[in-house]
Amino acid sequence: MIAVKGLRKTFTTHVKEPGLAGSFKALFNRQTVTKDALKSIDLEIQQGEIIGLIGANGAGKTTLVKILAGIVHPTAGEATVLGFRPWERNNEYRRQMCLIMGQKAQVWWDLPALDSFLLLKEIYQIDDRLYRENIEFLAETLMVKDQLKTQVRKLSLGERMKVELMAALLHRPRVIFLDEPTIGLDLSAQKAVREFLKKYQQEFRPVTILTSHYMEDIKELCPRIVIMKEGSFVYDGSLTQVQRMLGDEKCLSITTRESTFKVTVPRQDLGARTAEIFSQNDVLDLNIQDPSIEDVIESIMKNGVSV
Amino acid sequence: MDLIYYAVNIAFFKVLFLHTELIGGWSSEQMMVFVGSYLLVDAVNMTVFSTNMWWLPFYINRGELDYYLTRPISPLFFLSLREFAANSFVNLLVALGIFIHAIAVYSGPWEFGHLVGLVLLLVNGVLIFYCIQMLMIIPVFWTQSARGFVDLFYTLGIAMERPDRIYRGWLRVFFTVIMPFALIASYPARIFLEGFTPEVLFHLTAVSAGLWIIMLGLWRLGLRNYASASS
Repeated sequence: MIAVKGLRKTFTTHVKEPGLAGSFKALFNRQTVTKDALKSIDLEIQQGEIIGLIGANGAGKTTLVKILAGIVHPTAGEATVLGFRPWERNNEYRRQMCLIMGQKAQVWWDLPALDSFLLLKEIYQIDDRLYRENIEFLAETLMVKDQLKTQVRKLSLGERMKVELMAALLHRPRVIFLDEPTIGLDLSAQKAVREFLKKYQQEFRPVTILTSHYMEDIKELCPRIVIMKEGSFVYDGSLTQVQRMLGDEKCLSITTRESTFKVTVPRQDLGARTAEIFSQNDVLDLNIQDPSIEDVIESIMKNGVSV
Repeated sequence: MDLIYYAVNIAFFKVLFLHTELIGGWSSEQMMVFVGSYLLVDAVNMTVFSTNMWWLPFYINRGELDYYLTRPISPLFFLSLREFAANSFVNLLVALGIFIHAIAVYSGPWEFGHLVGLVLLLVNGVLIFYCIQMLMIIPVFWTQSARGFVDLFYTLGIAMERPDRIYRGWLRVFFTVIMPFALIASYPARIFLEGFTPEVLFHLTAVSAGLWIIMLGLWRLGLRNYASASS
């Protein structure tokens, strides 16, 4: 469904020293910096699969999503989605795809959601029956039935995100790009969006790429994750597998009379180190655990464990 | 405000005609047909395109083209026509009134076919006007700001409001081929007043088609370069 080979994207930007003198200098002697947003990416995703794309800010997640959604042209490499090259922007492709960005709104601000939906119905040429069915299903599952006739700008952030999701899914796309759909939402709204996405994925089996900074989203939705660091993949595999990557380490939480602290130790040293800690401290409580997924991913994002 | 603009335009030529019989080969009556023509083109542009043209550079600059590019519809079409300036609609009616009045009181000989030609060519004029505007806006993909070009457009745009015969030499080439402001209303008015000539028709077709092709090509090139300011 999605096949990416050797995809690269380089951005060239101009830099200038701060202040007026810097601007003047830049007028005659322009300094440019090239930045590799993506360094030769390979990726395969099958029908019905949902993958979680994670990485620090600037790791290249959004660039990858924007190339696959056909917004940005790659510098080199190949990518096909449903057999189309996204950046050729074939209408046939665009009718089967959707992009949802948590940070950029797509429904018209001054209109009630239903009016935006009508316009989208025309643009995507959705037939009446499917349109009615979809509105019904989406509004029901997202629980926004009563908000659809209100001007979008009067809605809360959570309600607005739900309306955005509805707008994006009206034409029942086969490929979904979700760029930080839960950003800025409160916990219960985050949960509602997650639950909805889960249900939608089970019901319609689209290919989905999800980027998020919230581990909860990833843990709930994505059996497979891809971790990016500085434009490259440092991990591509199952979420449960990632835990085992650092499986030869154990996490000790120790509570003493004075404080609580954590240490990570290699499994083979566990006995020796525990004894050492007991001998040196007045231990009240000791807990031995596998490192959590968050810890592992954070460590991979930071140190880039090679796969 | 716009009514004052119309009055000033008409008065400008009326005052000139107090001192001379002909301007650019046209009498006062003929000139009014031309004035009505360009006011009409201007009003159509204000109603249909101008709001969208105003916002387009900001959209490109701030990376707000993203969603337009993911829809199964031409982004150029969508972005150019997304907002209809309802408040300019009254101006459109007034301009139409001035145009019709100018034709009605015109005492010289004219044929119905020439009027049809005039109307069609004014539609073409609106498209030329739109194309030139777009050519001034598209550089935003590279320069990040188009204010300079857009100001240039408005300054040069006055060329549309003068009969083309007053331009000679390289200035004529500039305003009839490179930035064909003279083709927007002046050539169409000439067709109505003086009848069709093969040269004028050929010139109009070639330049309009060329302009359109260049604009579309440049737009595509711009989109290739669109970096989509990140979220």
